Parts: sequence; structure tokens; C-alpha cells
Amino acid sequence: MFEFFSEIRWEYLYDFDLAIESIPFLLEGLRVTMIIAGFSMVFALIIGIIVGIARMSKLAIFRLPAKFYISFMRGTPLLVFVFILYYGLPVIGIEFESSIVAAIVGVSFNFAAYLAEVVRSAISSVPKGQWEAAETLQMSYFQTLRRIIIPQATRIAVPPTFNIFMDVLKGTSLASVITVQELLYSGRLIAGRTYDSMTMYITVAIIYWLVSIVIGAIQSRLEVRYNRYLAKG
Amino acid sequence: MITVENLKKKFGDQVVLESINFSVNKGEVVCLVGASGSGKTTLLRCLNLLEEPSEGTLKIGDKKVEFGKQKLTKEDIKEIRQYSGMVFQSFNLFPHKTLMDNIIEAPITVQKRNKKEVLVEANEILEKVGLLEHKDKYPDALSGGQQQRAAIARSLMMHPEVLLFDEPTSALDPQLVREVLKVIEELAKEGQTMVIVTHEMNFARRIANRALFMDAGYILEEGPAEKVLTNPKEARTREFLALLEDE
Repeated sequence: MFEFFSEIRWEYLYDFDLAIESIPFLLEGLRVTMIIAGFSMVFALIIGIIVGIARMSKLAIFRLPAKFYISFMRGTPLLVFVFILYYGLPVIGIEFESSIVAAIVGVSFNFAAYLAEVVRSAISSVPKGQWEAAETLQMSYFQTLRRIIIPQATRIAVPPTFNIFMDVLKGTSLASVITVQELLYSGRLIAGRTYDSMTMYITVAIIYWLVSIVIGAIQSRLEVRYNRYLAKG
Repeated sequence: MITVENLKKKFGDQVVLESINFSVNKGEVVCLVGASGSGKTTLLRCLNLLEEPSEGTLKIGDKKVEFGKQKLTKEDIKEIRQYSGMVFQSFNLFPHKTLMDNIIEAPITVQKRNKKEVLVEANEILEKVGLLEHKDKYPDALSGGQQQRAAIARSLMMHPEVLLFDEPTSALDPQLVREVLKVIEELAKEGQTMVIVTHEMNFARRIANRALFMDAGYILEEGPAEKVLTNPKEARTREFLALLEDE
């Protein structure tokens, strides 16, 4: 037991100088990560809302494709989907102009399925009486959805949506596999050159963590905003 | 104002309303009473098509619809609903809107009325139900009685020919029942046509012109409220009233 510990070379645990030196290079990678994550969150949310509402439709023509889409995306690994996009599609003549675009498409479409489920559960959790009250006030389906249901569903959807946004952020790291030079890929380049994998990957991990703390802070502010109409205590 | 003929409602195989016939005249207050499960709430909900009847006809205002022949169009439903407003047992105010925004929502988004004019009217109606000072509060900050009065105000803003009440005081603490009944009574005095599902027998005797006693999907007894609710013909009605007295 103690022998095991004595063999650990603690002095190599973390090389601050190397970490600080590599920050500018890593931030370049972070920029790409943020571009992929930012676009993916927006697209995933838009697609998720559309698919989520389609999933609840009474019409099978909307509901069934949405169901199929959600099932496929939730049932397959993101990495495999990205491979299909990036390595598979060129075989049939469809090529993305850059691997970043392929990454954005892959991440967006994959997480959209999870967001669609969030949208669906949030909308169904608004009490039926809200629909009925709006109906008796002669509001149309879309007026009700837009002015009564979605604002209430949004409050319910904020925490799970931000969980998914954090997964989107972390999911962008898979883009490194298709040679997108994002944060993880940048870390790998330095790790390969300096042979200090420990320092580099810890640094990379910390950067992801800091970004997700920011995402969490945005979540808290939104929660406060959307909860303001509830009585305190 | 309302004429219902041979109205039937089935949920699957279960018959909830069996050949209902009744009418409500303009300015009349009609109370629907009966045990839970007798079909009175379903009947009320059929009047604004929250439930679609399986058979029969419904005429309300100038609009007449027939059920069971062909599917109702959106237009039919819209026209029928123009004539009525509904007050629910559980209020169903919009929790994310202030009282004021709750009551001006439909006049502005549905009727596309001028906002200034709507606000003036909203202030008057809130004053009338005694909630003007709370107009900027969210429903969650109000008592049940206040919420129900706000819900009544919200319905009134649409100028319904008929107001439908589905057990408006059943979800309220006993001390809050009166303030809501007072508002309804006020409306009765003004000649507002109303159909009220209620268990408040004293209230019903006092304000209703007529009472319908429902039992197992039928209207078992119908007549002047005073008579049906004090000295009914039918044994079932007497039993029901006696049960309520016991409580």
C-alpha cells in the first residue's frame, strides 16, 4: 500500500509553468469549442422545440417521425452519429465544407432529441385547466401555446435544458476525433509535444469546468426570473 | 338563450348523460344540483363544448349545433364559445400573469380590442369584484376567494351572454365562500344569465330562478329553485338534500 504511494511521482502531478504557458493556445481551442457549443445550443433548442411539439401532435404524420427521430438519436452514440456525418456521408457524395460544420450538425441534431423530450414533458406538466381556461376565453391553439403554455413550460424546462446545455458543451469534445481543433484537440497537441499529459488534460478539464460554471450561473439567474411569480416560501 | 335537446354524452361505453332536455332563458339563473357523478359538471362542460356531446342538439344565442352526425368544425366550436364564459372550481388563473394581465389577455389577443379601452373596463370590473388594489399581484399571492373573484372578472371581460360556474366555491376554505357568492349574487341582480353547478343549497335557493336536480345522467326533477330545493317531489332529491343537511 505505502509502497504504491511512494512510487507515485508527485512532482509531475501538475506543472504550473507549462499550464500557464499553454493557456493562449488552449484559449484558441476554447474559441472553437464555444463556436460549436453556441451554435449547437441554439440549433438544438430550435429543432428540439419543433420536434417536441410535433411529438405531441394528434396527427400521426407529425407525431411518428418525431418519435422515430427521438428514438434514433437517443439510442445511438453521438460519436457514431458524427462518424456517419463526417466519414459516411462523403461516400455517397455529401461532404461538409469543414469538420466544424459536421460537428455542429452532429451535436445539434443529437441533443435536439433530448431537448424535444424536455419540451414535451414541460408542456405536458402545465395543468390541463390552463388549456381549458384559455379555450373558454376563445383563445386559439397557437395563442394558448404561445401566451399561456410556453411561458409556464419554460419555467419548468429551464433546469433540464441547462443540464443538456452542459452536455452539449462537453459533447463538443467529440469533435476532436474528427480533427476539429477545439479545446481537447489543442490540449492533445501540447500533451503530445511535451509528454505532460497529466498537466494538459487537467488544465483542459478545468477550462471545461469553468465554462460549465458560467452556464450554471446563467441557469440560476433564469430560474430566479421565471420563478418570480410564485409566492415565496 | 340556451336550449338543449336530447343531449347524450358517452365516455367510451359509459353513458354519462342520458337524453337531457332543458332550456335557460335570458336573465335567468339556473342551478344544477346533484350528487357527484350525477353528470352535472359534464352537462355544464357540454354547454361550451369542453366536452363534445355524443348526440342531440345545443342552441346557444343564435348558434345551433347538432352532435353525432358529423364532426364539429373549429368554426362551430368558436361560435358556440362566444356566447359563454366559464368559471372553474380551481380558478385556473394564468399564474405567470398579474391579475390585470389575466383579465385583459383575451379581450386584447382574441377580440383585438383597443388596449386603452380594455384597461378602463378592466379597472371597473376589478373594482366591482373588490380587487382593484391587487391588480398588479400574481395569482399565487392571493387567497382562493380573491383568485376566484378574479376568475369571474376575467370571464366578464369577454361580455358573455351566459356565465357557466362549475362548483365555484368547492375548492375554497369555508370563510372565503361568502365573498365569492356575494359577487355571483350581485351578477344575478344585474340580470346576468347564469348556469351554476353548486352544493351551496342556501345560496341556490336564494338566487336561482330554477333548479335542476340531476341523478345518474338524468334530470330527475326540475322547477323553481325554492320548491325543488326545499320541498321536492322526488324521493331521490329529498334523500340528497337530507344528506347535505346532515353535514
